[in-house]
Amino acid sequence: MTLNLEQYAKLIDDEQKAFQADKAVKKVGYICNYIPVELLSAAGVRHARLVKAGSTRTVSAGELYTQSVFCDFTKSCIGFFQESGSLYKSFDKVYNFHSCSTMKRASEVIEQFVPTKLLNLPKLRPSQDARDFFRLEIINFKNDLEELTGKPIAEEEIQRQITIYNRARRLLKQISDLRKDERPVLTGAQFLDITLGYYYLPGDKLVPALEKVLAHLQAKPRGKARPLRLMVSGSIIADGDRRLLDIIENELDARVVIEDHCAGVRPFYHTISETDEPYRALANGYLDQAPCARMKPLSDGVEFSGRLARDYAVDGVIYSYLKFCACYGVSKKEFTDEFRNQKLPVLELSSDYSESDHGQIKTRIEAFIEVLREKQSNHTREQLHA
Amino acid sequence: MNQVHKAKDIVSGGEWNYTTSAPVVGLDIGSRGSKGVLLLGDQVATVLNPTGLYMQETADELLSQLVRQVRIDRSDVAFIVGTGYGRISLKYDDIPYKVVTEISCHAMGAHAVVPDTKTIIDIGGQDSKAIRVDPATGKVVEFVMNDKCAAGTGRFLEKAATILGVDLRDLGGVALRSKNPAQVSSQCAVFAESEVISLRARGARENLEEISADIAAGVHVATARRVRNLLGRVGIEPPIVFTGGVSNNVGMWKVLEEEIGAKFTPAKLDLIFAGALGAAVHAWKFHAAATGAESPKKRKPKAGASPEAGAAVAE
Repeated sequence: MTLNLEQYAKLIDDEQKAFQADKAVKKVGYICNYIPVELLSAAGVRHARLVKAGSTRTVSAGELYTQSVFCDFTKSCIGFFQESGSLYKSFDKVYNFHSCSTMKRASEVIEQFVPTKLLNLPKLRPSQDARDFFRLEIINFKNDLEELTGKPIAEEEIQRQITIYNRARRLLKQISDLRKDERPVLTGAQFLDITLGYYYLPGDKLVPALEKVLAHLQAKPRGKARPLRLMVSGSIIADGDRRLLDIIENELDARVVIEDHCAGVRPFYHTISETDEPYRALANGYLDQAPCARMKPLSDGVEFSGRLARDYAVDGVIYSYLKFCACYGVSKKEFTDEFRNQKLPVLELSSDYSESDHGQIKTRIEAFIEVLREKQSNHTREQLHA
Repeated sequence: MNQVHKAKDIVSGGEWNYTTSAPVVGLDIGSRGSKGVLLLGDQVATVLNPTGLYMQETADELLSQLVRQVRIDRSDVAFIVGTGYGRISLKYDDIPYKVVTEISCHAMGAHAVVPDTKTIIDIGGQDSKAIRVDPATGKVVEFVMNDKCAAGTGRFLEKAATILGVDLRDLGGVALRSKNPAQVSSQCAVFAESEVISLRARGARENLEEISADIAAGVHVATARRVRNLLGRVGIEPPIVFTGGVSNNVGMWKVLEEEIGAKFTPAKLDLIFAGALGAAVHAWKFHAAATGAESPKKRKPKAGASPEAGAAVAE
C-alpha cells in the first residue's frame, strides 16, 4: 500500500479539522521539539505543535503584544491565538519546555488566551545533574497531564508510545535519506511537508501513513539529472513558510537536499531507549537529540550541522535566520565557519515573513547559484582536462 | 551621461576584448536609476534615466535611446541581457533576451574596464555588495550583500539629502567640508533618519552650513562602516573598484577609502554603468555562444516587432 503526497497532505488536513471539532478529549498545544510527545500520546490527549508561520496580518496581530524587534515566528504563534478558525484557538492547554528565550516570553503572552505551563529544560547536555533534574521535570509534566485529563498514565502505555515514536522518527529519517541520492525523488519542500505529520497526526496514524509514503517514494523513478544540491541551515522554517524553498526549488531549479533547523530532519535523528525506566529514557533521549543552538555546548550543534552537510554531499549552504533570532542570528558565525572550513560556499540570509522583499532575496540566491554553477562547470572542465 | 565612448578610451591597464559587429545591449533596471549600455564595433554607448513606474517602458526607452545614439534600428540588436531589480519584469519577443543577476554583471562590468579587478564594492539604490572577482575571467568568486534593510545603501544617503535640503549630487561635496562629522547610528536607516532630524533641529541659524556638513559627513561615515563590514567578510584584495550609483559621490569615495584603509582604482567610465556594461558583455558572450563564433547578425524584418516596441523605435 502506498500513499502519495497529496493523499498524505489531505490526511493531515483532515486531522486538523477533526482536532478542532473534537470536544470529547483534551487538546494540547506544545512549543518546541524538546517536549516528550510520547507522554502526550500516553495521556490520551490530542496534540499539535505550534509550528505554523503566519501572514503579515498574523504577525502584526502578534505585534500587539510584543515589541517590533521580536522574531516573526514568535509573533505568528501569538497572532494565531487571535485569528478566528485557527487551530490554536481549540487548545485546552499549552506546554512549553523552556524553549528559546523569545518563545518563552511568547508563551507567557499565550497564557492570556489559554492555560499555559512552563517546564524547565536544562541546557547543559553533558551534565548528569541536568539529566536527573530533567527526569523529575518530565514526571512533573506527566502529573500535570494526569490532572488535565483526570486519568492516570500507565507506564506500559508510555513504553508503547516510545516504541511508536521511535518507529516514526526512524521512518522520517529514512525518508530524508532518500535525498542522499544524486537524483533525489523528493524536494526539500516535500520533505518538510512530510514532517508535518509528526506534529499533527496521532502516533498510531502517523506510523502507517509514513510507511505508505516511504513505499510510494521508493517506487518513484529517480529525478532526471543531478540537481544543484543545497543545504538550508539556521532558524526554523515553519509550516506555511515556504518562500525560501519556493525560490530555490521552483524558481531557480536547485534542490534543498538537507536542512538543519528544528522543523526539518533534526528531531528525527534520535531514538529513545526502549528498555530503560521510561522517564530516565525520555530525559536522556531528548537531551541527546541533535541539539538546537540554545543548548550547550554549541559545538555539538555545529558539529551535527557539519555532519549533515557532508553526509548529504551538498554544493553550498544557505544559512538563513529570522531577524532578531537570538539563537541562530547570534551564533551564525560558528555555523558558517564550520561550512567554510569544509570549503562549502555559504550565503547568509536574514529574513522575516514580509512579502515585499521577494526580489531582494531572490537576487541573492540567484547570484549564489550562479557562483555555484560556475564553480561546478570549472570543476568539470578541470576533470576533463586531467 | 548619454554618450558614445571609444572602447579603448574606457579601459585602464588592459585590452578591450569585446569588439563586436553585432550590436548587443545590457539593461540595468535599478531601484532608482536605469542604465543601458550598447556595444557595437569599438563603440560603447551609455544611457541613464530615472526608473519609471513601469519597468518595460523604462527599458524600452533606454533601448531606443541607445540604438539612436549609434544610428541603428532596434531590430538590429542581436542580444539583450537584463539585470537589476526590474530584470524579472522585462519581456522581449523579438530579440534574444536573458537575465543575469546584478552581482555577476557588476563583476563583469568592472572587469571589462579594469581587467585586473579583484574586489568590488557596489553601492546602489537599495543594495550594497562586496564582490570578489576572478581577474582571469571576470566571474564572481564570492559575494556578500547587505541585510535587506536600507542602511548602507544609496537610499539612506538620498533620505539624508532630502532632510538637509541638499541635492543628492552635492551631498558628498557638502560632507567633505565637515571638520567634525556628527555621530549617526549605523544600525538602521529609519532610526538614523530621526537622528538626522534631531541633529539638524539643534543647529542655530548662523552655523546651519557647518551643521549640514557635519551631518552629511556623519551619514557618509555610518554608511561606509556598514559597507566596510561587508567587505570584511569577502576580504580586501586590490585592485579594488567602486561601482554603482554611489560611486559618483566624492564624499563617499573618500570616507570609504579611509574606512577600509585602501585606495580604489579609478575607472575611465562612470561606474554607475558597471552593471549595464557587464550585462552587455554577458550579452556579447551569449550571442557569441549562440552563433558559434563572433559573426554579424543578419537584419530581421521589422514586422515581427511588438506594437509598443514599434512605437519606441518610431519616436
